[in-house]
Amino acid sequence: MTDIRALEADIAQAADSGAPGRSAWYRLEPAILGTASIAVLLVLWEVLPRLITMSAGTKLFFTTPTQIAGTLWRLFATGTIWTPLGVSASGFALGLGLSIVVGLPLGVLIGRSRTLNAMLDPFITAFNATPRLVFLPLLMLWFGLGLEMKIVIVFIGALFPILINTYEGVRNADKTLINVVRSFGASEWDVARLVVVPNAMPYIVAGLRLAIGRAVLGVVVAEFFGSESGLGVMMVQAAGRYQVDVVFSGLIVFAALSLAMTAMVQVLESRLSRWRPQRAGGE
Amino acid sequence: MSDEAIPRQSFTDKHRKVLLGGLAVAIFLAAWQAVFLVVPFNKLFVSKPDLIWDALVDLIVSGDLMRDLAISAVPFVYGFSAAVVVGVALGIVMGWRERVSYALDPIMTIFYASPLVALAPLVIVFFGVGVSGKAIIIFVLSVFPFIFNAQAGVRAVDRLLINVVRSMGGTERDLYLKVIVPSVLPYIVAGARIAVGRGLIGILVGEFFAASEGIGYAIARFGDLFALDRMFACIFAIMVIAVVLTEGIRWAERAAFPWRVGQ
Repeated sequence: MTDIRALEADIAQAADSGAPGRSAWYRLEPAILGTASIAVLLVLWEVLPRLITMSAGTKLFFTTPTQIAGTLWRLFATGTIWTPLGVSASGFALGLGLSIVVGLPLGVLIGRSRTLNAMLDPFITAFNATPRLVFLPLLMLWFGLGLEMKIVIVFIGALFPILINTYEGVRNADKTLINVVRSFGASEWDVARLVVVPNAMPYIVAGLRLAIGRAVLGVVVAEFFGSESGLGVMMVQAAGRYQVDVVFSGLIVFAALSLAMTAMVQVLESRLSRWRPQRAGGE
Repeated sequence: MSDEAIPRQSFTDKHRKVLLGGLAVAIFLAAWQAVFLVVPFNKLFVSKPDLIWDALVDLIVSGDLMRDLAISAVPFVYGFSAAVVVGVALGIVMGWRERVSYALDPIMTIFYASPLVALAPLVIVFFGVGVSGKAIIIFVLSVFPFIFNAQAGVRAVDRLLINVVRSMGGTERDLYLKVIVPSVLPYIVAGARIAVGRGLIGILVGEFFAASEGIGYAIARFGDLFALDRMFACIFAIMVIAVVLTEGIRWAERAAFPWRVGQ
C-alpha cells in the first residue's frame, strides 16, 4: 500500500524547509496559483448562467456557488441538518470504531503467525479486491434499513485497509529487536506491545487514513440505497426534487467530515510518533 | 532415500502457503454447508454452497450471467478508457509543468477527498440510467488514481538518466523509450490497479440506482426476489472478476517491471 499522496507531501515538505534564500514570490507561488485556480473556477461557475442563456430544463439542474453557500448556511441555521448528520455520523463512528477494534488485533495476529496468514490470505485477497458495495443488497436483507446495516457496511469497508496495513507494519518489525526482547524473557504479548505495534504505527495510521475514506463512502452508499434517514437520504431525496444546491451542500458536509477526520488522525500520528528519533539527514 | 525425501520436504514447504490457503477455503465451505445440518435452513435469508453452485451453473448455462456482465462491461470500458486517457495526460502535464501542478493540485486534492459517489444521484438524473450515466460515474471515480500516479511517475524520472542519454547522443525517441516510459509506466499500472476497484464501485452504484439491466441490477433484483442462491452466485462472479483484474494487473507489474518488485 504505497500512499503516493502522503509520499508527495513528505517530499514537498522536505523541499520547502530547505530553501532560505528564495524570494517571497517564489515561496508563495504554489499557494497563490492554487488559490487562484480555485477562485477562477468558482467565479466561472457563478457567472456562467449570466453569460449563456440556458433552457428552462437545464436551469432546473443548475446551481451556483452562492446558492450552495446560502443553502448550506440555511441548513445549519435552521438546524435541519443536525438530525440527518447525527444519524450519518453515528453510523460512521461506530462502523469505523468496530473496524479498528477488529482489524488491529487481527492484523497483528496474522503478521506474527505464518500459518494464520497463509490460511486467511485467500479470504483477505478476495474481499479486499471486491468492492464491498456488492454485499449491500444482502446486508439490507439481513440487517434491515437501520443503523445496524450502516455499521456493517462501514465496518467491512474500513476493515481491510486497517488490517492489511497493520499486517504490513508488523511484518516490517525489526527482527533483532524482537529477538532481544525475547532473550530477556518477553512473552508474545510483550513483543507485540513493546516492539511490533509501536513499530507498525506509521503503517496503521496510513491504513486509518485510507479507512476513513472508505468509511465515508460506505455511509454514503448505504444511505443512498437502503436507509430511512441520514445525510445521504437527504441528498437522494433532494436530487429527486431537483434541489441541486442541497445535493452539493451534502457533498461539502461529507467532504468536510472526511477532511476533519483525516486531520485528526494526522494530529494523533504526530503525538504517537513523538518518541521516534529524527530520521537521518538532519530533516 | 534421503535424496528423495529432501525435494519432497521442500515441495510441501514451498507450497505451504497455497496448501494452507486451499485448506482454509475448503474448511470454510464445508463448515458453511454443514452448519445447516444443525441450524434450521431458511432459504429466504441464507444460502449454502451447493445451492449457490447450482444457481451459478444455471445462470451460466442460460446465458443470463454473461448477458448481464456484457451489459455492465460496456460503460466500464468507456468510462475506464476515458479515465486512462484523461488521467494520464493530465498527470503527465502536472508532473512536467510545475506551475500547472501548483494550480491544479489543490482542486484535485479537494475532489479526491470528497466522496464523489455522492454526486451519483445528480449524474443519473442528468444523464439518465443508460450507458452514459454509468460511464460518467465510472470515469469520475477512476480518473484520480491515474492523475496522481502519472504525476508521481513523471516526478520520479531520474534527471541524471536523461542527461546521460542526451550526452551519449540519444535522440528524443531514445529518451522516451529508454527513460521516460519505463519510469512512468509502472506508476500508471499501479494506478490502474486502484482504479479498477473504484471503477467496479462505479458500476455497482450506477446499476443499484436505477438500471434495468447489468450485473449490479441483477444482484439488487435477486435480493428483492429473495433468490439468495442466485444473488450469491452473482456476488461470487463479481468477486472472481475483481480478483482476476487486480491480481492480473499485479502479476503484469511483476512480469513487466521486475525491477520494481522490491518496492
